[in-house]
Amino acid sequence: MSERPADREGRLPAERKTVNKIAAMPLALRRYGALLAAAILAAAPAAVALANEHRDVTRPEGAEAPWFEDRTAAAGVDRPHRTRSFKNPYAHVMEGYTALGASAAVADFDGDGWEDVFFTLSNEEGANLLYRNNGDFTFTETAAAAGVAAGNDAGNASANSLWFDYDGDGDQDLFVARFGQSLLYENRGDLTFRDVTAEAGLGPRYLNCIAAIAFDYDRDGDLDLFLGNYFQPVNLFNPETPRFFPESFETAANGGGVTVYRNEGGKLTDVTEAVGIRVSGWTLDLGHADADHDGDEDLYVAADFGSDSFFRNDGDGSFTDVTKEAIGVDTKKGMNVDWGDFDNDGLFDVFVTNITDEYMKEGNFLWQNLGGLKFADVSRETGTHATGWGWAGKFFDYDNDGWLDLYVVNGWVSGSKDPEDNYVLDIFEVIVNPELDLADARNWPPMGDKTLSGYQPNALFHNEGGIFKDDAARHGLDSRLDARGVAVADFDHDGRLDLFVTNSGKPPNLWRNVQPTGRHWIRLVLTGTKSNRDAVGARVWAQAGGRRQAAFVNGGNGFASQSSRRVHFGLEGAAVVERLEVVWPSGLEQSFTGVAADRTYQLTEGDDTLRPFVPRESTTTPQAKTPTESRP
Amino acid sequence: MKPRCLWIVPVLALLGAGALGAADGRGLYEEGLAAAEAADYEAAFAKLEAAVAAEPDNLRYGTAYRQAVIAAAGDEKKELYERCIDFFKTLVAAHPEAANAYLNLAFAHVDKIPAEGAITQVILANTSLTYFGNALELEESWLGRYSRGHAYLFWPTIFGRAASGIADLEKAIAIARENGDPKPYHARAWAALGDGYWRLDDVDKAREVWTRGRELFPGDGELEARLSRTGREELDAYLEVHYDTGQRVATHLREILGRDAAGHDEPAPR
Repeated sequence: MSERPADREGRLPAERKTVNKIAAMPLALRRYGALLAAAILAAAPAAVALANEHRDVTRPEGAEAPWFEDRTAAAGVDRPHRTRSFKNPYAHVMEGYTALGASAAVADFDGDGWEDVFFTLSNEEGANLLYRNNGDFTFTETAAAAGVAAGNDAGNASANSLWFDYDGDGDQDLFVARFGQSLLYENRGDLTFRDVTAEAGLGPRYLNCIAAIAFDYDRDGDLDLFLGNYFQPVNLFNPETPRFFPESFETAANGGGVTVYRNEGGKLTDVTEAVGIRVSGWTLDLGHADADHDGDEDLYVAADFGSDSFFRNDGDGSFTDVTKEAIGVDTKKGMNVDWGDFDNDGLFDVFVTNITDEYMKEGNFLWQNLGGLKFADVSRETGTHATGWGWAGKFFDYDNDGWLDLYVVNGWVSGSKDPEDNYVLDIFEVIVNPELDLADARNWPPMGDKTLSGYQPNALFHNEGGIFKDDAARHGLDSRLDARGVAVADFDHDGRLDLFVTNSGKPPNLWRNVQPTGRHWIRLVLTGTKSNRDAVGARVWAQAGGRRQAAFVNGGNGFASQSSRRVHFGLEGAAVVERLEVVWPSGLEQSFTGVAADRTYQLTEGDDTLRPFVPRESTTTPQAKTPTESRP
Repeated sequence: MKPRCLWIVPVLALLGAGALGAADGRGLYEEGLAAAEAADYEAAFAKLEAAVAAEPDNLRYGTAYRQAVIAAAGDEKKELYERCIDFFKTLVAAHPEAANAYLNLAFAHVDKIPAEGAITQVILANTSLTYFGNALELEESWLGRYSRGHAYLFWPTIFGRAASGIADLEKAIAIARENGDPKPYHARAWAALGDGYWRLDDVDKAREVWTRGRELFPGDGELEARLSRTGREELDAYLEVHYDTGQRVATHLREILGRDAAGHDEPAPR
């Protein structure tokens, strides 16, 4: 007998917002450009008006000042990312297409309650950085001492990173995704790590990995590893053939695809074929969530130069490709996958970035989950369609008003500002020559110092009842650096979500959230017992102030960045959560009533008590700990 | 071999039927229209392809075929657009003197654009310019100049094609003037010419052109729509929608290939 919980679609709140009305339009109306434009113009004002009926959109006192402070230098996290230079015959071309690798992954690796950051560089000499949170919004860099600095060398370039408890021992291990051969470090529990790549079964193996998430697809209690690979498995640093570039701009199937490792007590085995994940595109990101609330995790694959894919978890250890039925086939440049219930209808939606610029107007996808594993792109209707050459886009409720906002970072390569130095003109010559063998790197023009979709501002979309309004400029978050990743976490435990943003070839930005609203919030730190220890896939519902929100513990969703796994709800004016429900990956359901807001709680699977979660040496928020403190 | 290549065989056979003559083409055309109206698209394609094969330079027949393809394919059945493009490619190869066949080949590329992704859209748009140019090399025409000029304006400013569009549209206006028989649809060239200046960020000049066009064609909806948008932002919004490459451009030529009061086709203009 299955332990799967009952289908939750029957428990949706009555509160369905504006966007649902838009989604209810005939599909044909939403799909065609001309009619779509008319639909936007016609629907938007009415939609906003409807939204405003449901919520207070007035600004609190002091709201005019920016709500985010740049604390990068003050916090000690201002070392710049460096991109990779190549020494092979195709170096002049490759360098234009590998301006990647600036990633950040958040987790509490030392178990002191404060969330830390792992930050990758990509240059050959670049040491990766492990920023240990001191608890006072400063960080101490400890990568070398911890043994995780060596991520870059002549044959490998760091591209991404992921914290996950691969051996289920209660601390956070570290996966470093690389162009080349990736690494897995085991956390020894004494602030040091050891390389267990081979021991765990991961290699050495060329995968040219750029995306990594971990979730328990077979619900056997440990975290499985899903890798998104950009280039096919060749040695990029010394390729034997020039034919390792995308064969098409829209239907390329000669990328690295996806690799799935099943975890069996810390031993990882490649089960890609066996589980039915068969894609060979240029994967840039992966994202999981239980899209149909059937108790297991489904998978969205974002691919460059071709169609994204959607895989339904069949609950028997295998997946079925349901792309056509779920999202349709596209020709865009998918770069990010984040899941969140932006319309508070109880179903998790998906945000995917694509390319939007004067010369190519693909537009992002905001896939509204319609139920039954059907999605509709409502990016135009919601105002999230055009942000630029998008990278990470993360859902988070920055103002604790109970609606998920969205931060989207943009820009590919910001080089020369001379209009003549626009790389679009170069690549255009390639595009309009159908006889060219695109897979041959020698046919791609070098980028040099030219610009391609550069100097694009990031967007902070404030969710106003299902319609979004860009407030980035108001809060100083409209940086025009070539950003890549967005890691969301509350680094100072003050109930306001902060941002760690990575920038290609530049220092990151650490944005401290200082919004003055005083709105209520609640946060859960979940620990699995029968379920995987990190509780990835656990779903949580919070009923408060007449609103019912859904969230889940995610295993690293979002391009080049892993946000906190802690489940955070903004509660607006509600000081008490009337009912809090948790459904664990094991199928166990727990609920709590009358839970006081403005606190972080620890919940262990099966424990009937929500316990206050307090970072070490912090009795009030925030309070510093000493940088030299050691882990017990 | 891709399945669509299989169509080339009957197409080639039909091209050999060029000697059938105008009367046979007319009958096939009428039968094709009736089939399309009844949504019997396979029959419509067969009849209309045969009609065009019988009269390769007949703009009306070719247009009817393309419109039947659009009706059948929508924005999804790419293979039907590919069939249409292949048909006209074969047609111009067999009849390189047929200017209107080149125009239809260019329009067939434009017709497929909404069904494609952003990159293929660029390729189709670029290729259509080549075929419009082939048609103009064979025969100067208002339609050829207007169509190519308008097509240039869909290109983002960075590609520097607005000036070429302006040149074509000025030529179209000159052709209409020389012909001395102004038609209501000639107003479109004035609207597009102003759009060209808008694309070059010279809105004053654009308004000047639209105003001049309105003097010549009072009450024209396209010109009124532009001139009524006095604010820059609302004008930009209007024209950005107009030049959104994701939306279908009307290529039915209905105003040009009109029918008289008795329901008979008017002669297609050159």
